[in-house]
Amino acid sequence: MGLARTVWNTVKSMVVGHAITARELTARPITIFYPEEKPEYPTGSRSVPVLKVNEESGWLNCTSCGLCERTCPPTCIEIDQAVDPETKKKKPWPHTFTLDLSHCMVCNLCIEACPFDALEMLDVAELSTYQVQDLKFNKEQLIDLWKTGKAIRIAEGQSMPEITTSDPRGGR
Amino acid sequence: MNDVLAAVLEAIAVLTYVALNAFVLIWLERKIAGHIQRRVGPLRVGGPSGALQSLADGIKLFSKEDFRPGGKDGFVWWLAPLVSMTPAVMVFIAIPFGQHLIIQDMNIGLIFIASITSFGLLGVFMAGWGSNNKYSLLGAMRAGAQLFSYEIPAILSTIGVVLAAGSLSLETIVAKQSAHWFLFPQIIGFIIFYIAALAETNRTPFDLPEAESELVAGYFTEYSGIRWAMFPFAEYGSLFTSCALATTLFLGGWHGPLFLPGWIWFLLKTYILVFVAMWIRWTLPRVRIDQLMDLGWKFLIPLSLVNILGTGAYIALVR
Repeated sequence: MGLARTVWNTVKSMVVGHAITARELTARPITIFYPEEKPEYPTGSRSVPVLKVNEESGWLNCTSCGLCERTCPPTCIEIDQAVDPETKKKKPWPHTFTLDLSHCMVCNLCIEACPFDALEMLDVAELSTYQVQDLKFNKEQLIDLWKTGKAIRIAEGQSMPEITTSDPRGGR
Repeated sequence: MNDVLAAVLEAIAVLTYVALNAFVLIWLERKIAGHIQRRVGPLRVGGPSGALQSLADGIKLFSKEDFRPGGKDGFVWWLAPLVSMTPAVMVFIAIPFGQHLIIQDMNIGLIFIASITSFGLLGVFMAGWGSNNKYSLLGAMRAGAQLFSYEIPAILSTIGVVLAAGSLSLETIVAKQSAHWFLFPQIIGFIIFYIAALAETNRTPFDLPEAESELVAGYFTEYSGIRWAMFPFAEYGSLFTSCALATTLFLGGWHGPLFLPGWIWFLLKTYILVFVAMWIRWTLPRVRIDQLMDLGWKFLIPLSLVNILGTGAYIALVR
């Protein structure tokens, strides 16, 4: 009885195993040929926080309040508030807004902290440069980056949107 | 003079075939491995299928530094790849690819092949001994135990076929299968032979001599470049010859429906067996050394003896 059961289990597990590998052999490979074929990033992918332009006014939403600067754990954001040159009064927009992506850990905390919906997270991953100082983005570059990709804001305990990708290999 | 010329031409033909066959099999193995793991395998070398990947690897191996480990047993170490490759090539002499498409039909063809394949163990052991490396020696010890254990069921399982055919000549054995293949009366023999052939060619469920997670690369740890390449060459050569022998003995050799010539049927059956060996390699995990020995000595050898007994009794009583 013991031997018969062993043989039966052996044969059964071998048949099942070979059926599984045969199925995988005929299935479509999940390899993506990266430079030629771009993967579809799942919604909510993070690459760099960027400055949002208000579509109604055409200006930045940023009021230069400095909450993101203070909340940033690696302190990679530097904001210089705009000042009226004549009255020396502070103005509610940034004069410079610098984000050092080489330090940024893409934690989303600046976006969580922003009370004015001024920052959004970009999902474009191809930002590498030859010089590390080229990763220091100024205000204009951050606006340009916002225009290139589809940046979204996920904050205040908001749950991730449904992953919507047509590619069956995406979102794994 | 003509005999010498013919022998040289035959040797060149066999060596060319062995080399091309190894290139194709290595490419095929990598493709199958890739697709079973839902990757794509070799790519871009020689078209989108990567068909010339093995050739590129071969050129790379030829151009590598000829590294010799310190403390080696020089002559033994140098000779080992050649000794291990020669039997894989020599077996081709006796395999009938088609009717009259055989280099030398011997009346002891099967004994010739059995003795030549056992010779490969010598090369493996020389490599392990000559390298002066603990992993090499352990791998060679394992190879010795394994090849010795599985040689016995492999030979015993063919005796049933010899009894049924009444000849040791491989061409006669194939000719006797024109009515029906020996697969169905000898199904147990076929299974034993195939398992033993996998073990003798060190393929994955039984690849203990070169278990990379335990022994780096086993007996060829200290080899590199083209010397190293001779071991996979021998391995894929003997994989092909084992499957060709299984085709000859059990699957009717060159026999098949008439719309294709015999040698195509032979190669088709052989490559299907090779494919199954690759499929098994990428499905089953490696067994332990005690399981390997148990399977060989406690299961395959008694079963093959029972098979011989049954075949002999059938032939004595019924015919």
